[in-house]
Amino acid sequence: MNLFRSEEHLGRWLGGREPGATTTVVELSVLAHAWWDDRVSADWRPHTREQNQAILDRLGLTGDFWLLP
Amino acid sequence: MNAADLDLRRRTYAHMVENGTAPRADDLGDRDEVVAGWRRLHDEHALVLNPGTDEIRMLNPFSAVPSAWRVHARDRWWYANCAWDAFGVCACLHADGRIESSCPDCGEPIVVEVHDEKPGDESLLFHVLVPAERWWDDIVYT
Repeated sequence: MNLFRSEEHLGRWLGGREPGATTTVVELSVLAHAWWDDRVSADWRPHTREQNQAILDRLGLTGDFWLLP
Repeated sequence: MNAADLDLRRRTYAHMVENGTAPRADDLGDRDEVVAGWRRLHDEHALVLNPGTDEIRMLNPFSAVPSAWRVHARDRWWYANCAWDAFGVCACLHADGRIESSCPDCGEPIVVEVHDEKPGDESLLFHVLVPAERWWDDIVYT
């Protein structure tokens, strides 16, 4: 899970491999804050798959690529 | 996850946040009991152990070992496991921060200031190579 300076840099790095999913760094920050916000809280409880999938769904990260097991 | 394992996890993360490094098993109590608990937490993806050594590799989003992702937050440098986790360090500490890494293509430095949960440089792209269904097949690679 990496940051790239542009599509051009990403394409070169992939080097013919099938790309995965790409978002903006702004979307990444929103995702990370939703996903990790409670991680060091003393009240932390494991997220269910449904909770985590709902985070992805809310941010529009949908489709087979973003489907959690 | 039972109450004892939740408590062990809480103490493990608290050590990380307080000290900036992951604990060794005997920092938290009887070594064998702690390692047994960590193995259960590993199996539940609540932390990641090094195979073979029973030392902590990841307390997601923190990396317990040096990585390509450094984050300065709360007056300390941390290592993260990836771009997602680098923002996660700021998120879980509820702090602004500075993320430092490099472009995997050209090697040029990438520096992102995070302020009020927003990146200072909005031009960067985030790429995920592995589909979500397979993230935990090899979480270090992911």
